[in-house]
Amino acid sequence: MHSISSRGFLSYLGHWQKLTLGLFALVLLCWFVADTEVIALEPWAELSRMFNGFMHPDFAATEYLLDALWQTISFALLGIGLGLLLGVPLALVYQHSWVAAMCAFIRAIHEIFWALIFLQIFGLSPLTGILAIGLPYAATFARVFADILQQAPVHTIFCLPHGTSKLSALLYGRWMHVYPQIVAYIRYRFECALRSSAVLGFIGMPTLGFYLESAFRQGHYQQGGALLILFIALIGTIRFWAKPIMLWVYLPLAVYFLPPLPLFQEQLVWRFISVDILPPMLQGLPLSAWFNAGVFMSVWEWGDQLVRNQVIPGIIATLVLACCALGLTHMLTLILLPLNTRLLMPNWVTILMRAVNLILRSLPEYLLAFVFMLLLGPSMLPAIIALALHNSGLMVFLMARQSDEVTVPLTYRPRIGDYCYTVLPTIYPYFMALLFYRFEVIIRETAILGMLGVMTLGFYVDSNFAEIRFSGALLLLLFTAGLNVLVDYLTRKLIQIPRNRLQAC
Amino acid sequence: MKLTGFILAGVLSLFSTVAISETFTFTAIPDEDESQLRTRFNKVAVYLSEQLDVEVKYVPVKSYSAAVTAFRNNQVQLAWFGGLSGVQARRLVPGSEAIAQGFEDQFFKSYIIAHHSTELVASDRFPVLNDYTFTFGSKDSTSGRLMPQYFIENNLGKPVEETFKRIGFSGDHSRTISQVEAGVYQVGAVNYKVWDTAVEKGEVDTTKVSVIWQSPTYPDYQWTVHSGVDTVYGAGFKDKLTHALLNMKDRNLLDSFPRESFVPASNSDYEPIERVAKAIGMLD
Repeated sequence: MHSISSRGFLSYLGHWQKLTLGLFALVLLCWFVADTEVIALEPWAELSRMFNGFMHPDFAATEYLLDALWQTISFALLGIGLGLLLGVPLALVYQHSWVAAMCAFIRAIHEIFWALIFLQIFGLSPLTGILAIGLPYAATFARVFADILQQAPVHTIFCLPHGTSKLSALLYGRWMHVYPQIVAYIRYRFECALRSSAVLGFIGMPTLGFYLESAFRQGHYQQGGALLILFIALIGTIRFWAKPIMLWVYLPLAVYFLPPLPLFQEQLVWRFISVDILPPMLQGLPLSAWFNAGVFMSVWEWGDQLVRNQVIPGIIATLVLACCALGLTHMLTLILLPLNTRLLMPNWVTILMRAVNLILRSLPEYLLAFVFMLLLGPSMLPAIIALALHNSGLMVFLMARQSDEVTVPLTYRPRIGDYCYTVLPTIYPYFMALLFYRFEVIIRETAILGMLGVMTLGFYVDSNFAEIRFSGALLLLLFTAGLNVLVDYLTRKLIQIPRNRLQAC
Repeated sequence: MKLTGFILAGVLSLFSTVAISETFTFTAIPDEDESQLRTRFNKVAVYLSEQLDVEVKYVPVKSYSAAVTAFRNNQVQLAWFGGLSGVQARRLVPGSEAIAQGFEDQFFKSYIIAHHSTELVASDRFPVLNDYTFTFGSKDSTSGRLMPQYFIENNLGKPVEETFKRIGFSGDHSRTISQVEAGVYQVGAVNYKVWDTAVEKGEVDTTKVSVIWQSPTYPDYQWTVHSGVDTVYGAGFKDKLTHALLNMKDRNLLDSFPRESFVPASNSDYEPIERVAKAIGMLD
């Protein structure tokens, strides 16, 4: 009887309601497991120092400031350039499942970790930064372009005259249909690349992040405040200075003004693949000596220890943190979205909210997390809130475009009821698809918070790099990437809708 | 297509603009103030190049592990390392040598600091720290992580994970101070110089946070030079370099580190650090 009545209840629910309820259940479960203890504190001294810093930003405190600004743009441009160069051809062969899997794998590793790997091979070279942005971006471009191309109408191809070359057919028959979408996406990605470029400063690239991180870490809030204001202004004014035509000026300049490249040393690459990535007991051991029981046992034990002490606790913490952040992002976005919709709000509110969104999505998560940590103590809570705020800022930014384009009936009035019955259901599928895509991104972003001390996979990867244990770091990265590929696969299964117009960061 | 071609040309030209140099390069991360790094250390570069008759360049890095990597890749031939990072670097580059250390680094120490709510008071005896929350500095710091962890484990007889309720890594000494001051963590470990400077400048509210224990002394920061500099920059280069470092008298330069002066050092001075790092499992 019971099962019948519950089936009866479920049959009232549509696909998206079920999915949403399922999500809430999962989030509640994770919230229950998560460490969300609030510790009573005395944060006011530090917070007032921080507030004072923002009130009196000191733009002169940073040396080589213009240089840092320009390098931030330059790394982003060259990274996007490399990303397009590799991503466009990959998009054409994305239907092969091994290409898709490879791209998912590359995407799954955070830019910071790519940079830490390339640092071993190229050292402190601009190449490290450009590759660290270019490679994962290429993988993202490949997927998104492939998705967009799938939506392109095919009829033009059949109208082309006989004997049209394959390349022309592809260009005129397929790409031109989706050209505006592709350009819009590249422009959006450029904003992401600027953020990535700044973040690479955290590990030593000469971008804004280099100074931003030091300033906040050491409590120089006047300098930090100034840098943050500059960074937000840089992102907020993209559409004024990054006109497509200007690329022809910026790109050569970016190449020309790169910091000098150190001599490329092949032996570093060789050392990396022949020594660094091997477990410690195999380093320096001739290949012939690998295959005996004693060596095998010690490698097994090494791997077992790592998996038991770092991988498994890391994966659990990562997933719990990411799920809680996902649930909070869902709620925050649904609350903030109406305030950003022209269909509901007067113009001045949406303009004001646009500024709020800009700040939310430009503030580095780790900075938000640090502020909340002062307020709430060192549990997972600050990280959850930071991730949710940052991601809902981005979600609202992307969703507001969708909701403004909804065609409403003539009877529509800008009231919350009308919004909930007309606008929200139309955009909800996109909303959920984007949210699940963000899940993948949130998991990747927990990496940075790992550096703040939340014991996610990123925390252990960072520890291994700090202890110069590259083989351990790489093993952990393999698991991180594997986890992301799995999550990507599962969330794609859950949202079986066309993924056009979806934008990703 | 044109765009792609253009980008291709741009990226390819990247690989051709290779700078070849015989410049002598060094890096340094000071343990206190990390602002204006390039401006400050470029002055040191100027001093060294006057003394050594070669072009000397300073490369800023962000972390000790990045400094170790740069040293290992021979992108820097000289580095101002912390105790632990110096040991790591010299293990990775056979033949490299510690040639000078700061005057203060002969007897460096760490403080354990506590929030007033813990009601822990300063004492010569090692405090009972069970079930408090605790923060180290950065993961690869000698005075903020390695030595404190060793002293705690040695005195309390069990791994730190079993002593504390929660362990954090603040990432920086000044952050450790501000977090313990705010009560985010109840207890923390900090570089004694950073603490003393912060108290002197009035940046710490000592009614909220105070030193409850100070560690025995140990060797810390040192200049480590790459093997084979004599063959690249001429015979006797290492001696000249050592001499130049030990004779750095200009306060303006010394304040960048910040150190009183530099005194001779050798690899064997840092054996205790290596032993400790192995004991707590940070080195294999």
